[in-house]
Amino acid sequence: MIIYNFAAAVLYCGFFLALGAAFVQLAGLFSPAAPDAEHCGPPRRDLSPARLGAPCILALAGLLTLDALILFHAFAAQDFIVEYVAGYSDSTLPAAYRVTAFWAGQPGSLLFWAWAVSLSGALFVLLPTYKKLCVRTQAGFCLFFTGITAFFLLILAEWNNPFALLDFVPEDGRGLNPLLQNPGMVLHPPLLFLGYGGFVVPGCLALAQSAGAGKAGEPEIREAYWGDTARPFILAAWALLTAGIVLGAWWAYMELGWGGYWAWDPVENASLLPWLISSAYLHTSVIGRKRGKLRRTNVFLMCLTTVSAFFAAYLVRSGVVQSLHAFSDEGVGLPLLVFTLVFLYLAGAAALCTESKDTRPLEDLSSKEGLLLFVAWLLSAVAAVILIATLWPVIIDALIALSAHLPAFVAGRLPQTPMGLEASFYNRACLPLLALPALLLLVCPGRKWKLSPGASGFTRPRLFYAVLAAAAGLGTTLSFAGIQQPVALAAAACAAAGTAGILLHLFTGPRPASLPAAHGAHVGLLLMTLGVALSGPYQQKYTLTLGRGETGKAGQYRVTVRELYEGESRIGADGRPGYRFVEAELRIAADDGTPLGTLSPQRRRYAKFEQQSFAEAVTLFGPGNELYAVLLGIDEMKASLSFNVNPLVNWIWFGGILMCVFPVAGLVMKRAAGRPAGRGAPGGAREGGMGLKAGVSNHQGSCDEDDTGEAEETRETTVRT
Amino acid sequence: MTKRSGKGLYAAALLLFLGGAGYLVFSGISESSVYFLNVSEALSLPGDKLHSARLFGTVRQDGLTRLGNSAGVRFQLEDKDNAGKALWVEYEGPVPDTFKAGAEVIVEGGIRGEKAFKAVTLMTKCPSKYQKENRI
Repeated sequence: MIIYNFAAAVLYCGFFLALGAAFVQLAGLFSPAAPDAEHCGPPRRDLSPARLGAPCILALAGLLTLDALILFHAFAAQDFIVEYVAGYSDSTLPAAYRVTAFWAGQPGSLLFWAWAVSLSGALFVLLPTYKKLCVRTQAGFCLFFTGITAFFLLILAEWNNPFALLDFVPEDGRGLNPLLQNPGMVLHPPLLFLGYGGFVVPGCLALAQSAGAGKAGEPEIREAYWGDTARPFILAAWALLTAGIVLGAWWAYMELGWGGYWAWDPVENASLLPWLISSAYLHTSVIGRKRGKLRRTNVFLMCLTTVSAFFAAYLVRSGVVQSLHAFSDEGVGLPLLVFTLVFLYLAGAAALCTESKDTRPLEDLSSKEGLLLFVAWLLSAVAAVILIATLWPVIIDALIALSAHLPAFVAGRLPQTPMGLEASFYNRACLPLLALPALLLLVCPGRKWKLSPGASGFTRPRLFYAVLAAAAGLGTTLSFAGIQQPVALAAAACAAAGTAGILLHLFTGPRPASLPAAHGAHVGLLLMTLGVALSGPYQQKYTLTLGRGETGKAGQYRVTVRELYEGESRIGADGRPGYRFVEAELRIAADDGTPLGTLSPQRRRYAKFEQQSFAEAVTLFGPGNELYAVLLGIDEMKASLSFNVNPLVNWIWFGGILMCVFPVAGLVMKRAAGRPAGRGAPGGAREGGMGLKAGVSNHQGSCDEDDTGEAEETRETTVRT
Repeated sequence: MTKRSGKGLYAAALLLFLGGAGYLVFSGISESSVYFLNVSEALSLPGDKLHSARLFGTVRQDGLTRLGNSAGVRFQLEDKDNAGKALWVEYEGPVPDTFKAGAEVIVEGGIRGEKAFKAVTLMTKCPSKYQKENRI
C-alpha cells in the first residue's frame, strides 16, 4: 500500500520537476546573461540552464519508468487494493493479459503514453546528435518537452491517478473485458502510444529550432537541420503508429465478429489524423531535405502531427463526440483541449518564424517535386475531411446554438435537431481521395525532379508506358470479372500495376534504386489499397442454421457441421474456470467437394462476464478469398452461423507489415552503411527519392493462432453435447 | 516569368483539387446526413422525420427478447438521462457480444410503420469504455 502512495507521490514530484525545468529553460532563454547561446557542439563545463535540461528529461524518464514498473508489479501481483488493478483484472486472467491490462483503461493508457514520451525524450538527449545542437536549441527543446511532460503528469496526478486505492481489498477483481483478451490487444494500444509519443521529440525540436532558438541553415552555425536530426524518431514513430492502426483493424476484424475492420468510428478517425498529417510531412520533407524547400510547411506539418495526437486523445477521452469506444470524460477533456489549442498556436507561430529566405521556387507541377507536394495536399485534405466529418455533430450543435446571431440564409438552412454523418459519408468522400495515391504511384517512381523541354520526364519512359498499359488492361479484365464499382476498380487496377512497376524499378533498373525503403513501403501501401478496394465493397455475407451432419452453402464454400461441443477452460494450478464455451466443428469444402479445412468457431461465457457471450471468430486463410466464420449461438441442437467471404483481405495485413518494416529497415541499413541521414549525405540529391509511407499488421490463419497468448495457462476440455 | 507562371499553375491546381474535394464533401453531406439523437429527442420528433437516424441510449431490462437463434433482438431503448422515456427497437442480424440490459448502445435505422424503430445497425460501446461500469 505504501508503495502505491509512493507511486502517486512520484507523479506529483515529476510534475513539479518538469514544471520547474520548463521555467528554468524559459528564464534561461530570455536571460540577457546567456553568453553561449549560439555555441554548438560538446558542452562547456558550466551549469547554464540549457545544460540542466537533459538531466531533467532523464530524471523524468526515470520517475515515469519507476511508476510504470510499480503498476506492472501491481497487475502481476494482482494487488486488488489498487482500484485500477481491481477494475481491469482478476485471478482467472491469463498471465499475458494480466500484464497488458496495464493499458486497458484510461489512467493506465495515459501513464503508458507519458512513459513512451519520456523514454523517447531520454533516448534523444543521450544521442550525439542532441549534444551537437546549439545550446539555444537544446534549451528550446527542453522547454517544450518538459512542458509537455508536466502536462501529462498533471493529468495523471490530478484526474487519472492509476494508483488510487480502494478503502477495502476485494476478494477478486472485476476482470478484463473478454474482447480485450486478444493478442491484438497486447500490441495495438502500446504501438499506438509509442507512435504518438515518438512524434513529440521531432515536434519539440522543430518548434525549438524554428522559433528562433536556433538558426539552422546559416553556415556560420553548424547545427543540423531538425528534420535530419529527428528523422529516425519520425520514421520510427510513423512505423509504430501505422503498426498500431493496422493491428487495431486486425483486432477489430478478428475479435468483434462483425466481419469488417474499419467502421469510421470517431476513435478510429482520431488515430488516422496524426497518421495522415505525418504522412503528408514525410512527402514534403523529401522536398525539404533534398531540395531545401518548404521549410515552413515542414515545421507546421510536424508540429501539427504532434498536436493532432493530443487532439486524438481529446476526442477519445473527453466525450465531445458520441463514439463506440471512447472513454468517459473524467475531467481531462478541457485540459486536453486547452493544451491542444496552445500547441496549435505554437505550431503556427513556429512556422511563421521559420527562416525562408533561401527558398527557391518549386519545380514544375508534374515533376517529382510537384507530385510529392500534391500527395501532401491530398493527405492533408483527407485529414481535414475526416476531422470535419468527425466533429460534424459538434459543429451543427454549435451552429444551432448560434443560429440567432447568424445571417438568415444560413440560419434558415440549419436543422432543428443535431445531425451527424453516417459511415457512408466517409466511403463517398474519402475513399476516392485515398485511391488517388495508387494512381500517383504509377507515375511517381520514375518521375524526374527536373523536367527538360521535349523530354518525357521519366527516368525510364518505356517502363512507365508499360505500367500504364498494364493498369488499363487490368482494369478492363477486372471490369469483365464483375468489379464494376468505379473507385474500387480504378484503385485495384492501379494498385496491382503500380506494385509491378515499383518492383521492376527496384530489380531491373540500370542501378539499384536509391530508396528501397520508400519503394518497399509504397508496395505495402498498394497491396493494402488492393485489399481494401476489393474486400470492402465485394464482401459477401451469409447466415446459416445447421444441425449436426447438415450441409449449407456460403458462396463458393460448402459448410458441414461435423460436431457440436460444449466445454470449459481452466486457468492455472487451482483449476478455476476461466470461461465456458459452445463450439461448432465445421468441415469446409469447395463447391466440387474438395476438402479445404476445418473451422471451429466458439461462443464463450467468461466467469466474470456471465451475462454476455462472446464470439471467437475463425478464418479459413486464403490469399484470394478468406472465409470468416462466427458462431451466433446453438439452439435446439442447431448452430446458427454467420459467414463472410472477404476477397483479398489478407493483403491488407501483409501490406501493413511491409509498410512498417521497410522504413525501419531503411534506417538500420543506412546506419549500417555508415551514411548520415542528413542533407548532404552522399547521394542525397539523387533521383529516386519518394516520400515514405507505411504500417504493420498480422494475418490470421485459424483460431488456434488466435489463442497463442493463452496456450501456456489454459487447459481446455471438450465434451460432446 | 517562369517562377510566376509556375506559382499560377500550382494555385490553379490547388483550386481545382479543393473544388473536387469540396464537391465530394458537399455531396457526401447531402446524402449521408442523419439525425443524431438521444431517445427523448427522437420521441419529440414526428415519425416522418425519423426515416433515417442514429439513436443513442441504454438497453432497458424490461421487454428484452432475443429473436430466434440469436439472429436478432427486440428491446426498449431508454434515454440515458431520462429513464422514463423509451422507444422500441427491433434489430435483425448478429447481436454484438457486449449487448445486454443496461448496455449503452447506438442504433442506426429508422421508424417503420408503428412506433418501433427498425435498426439496421446495432453497436455497443467498446470495452475501452468499460471504465464506468467497472467500478467496484
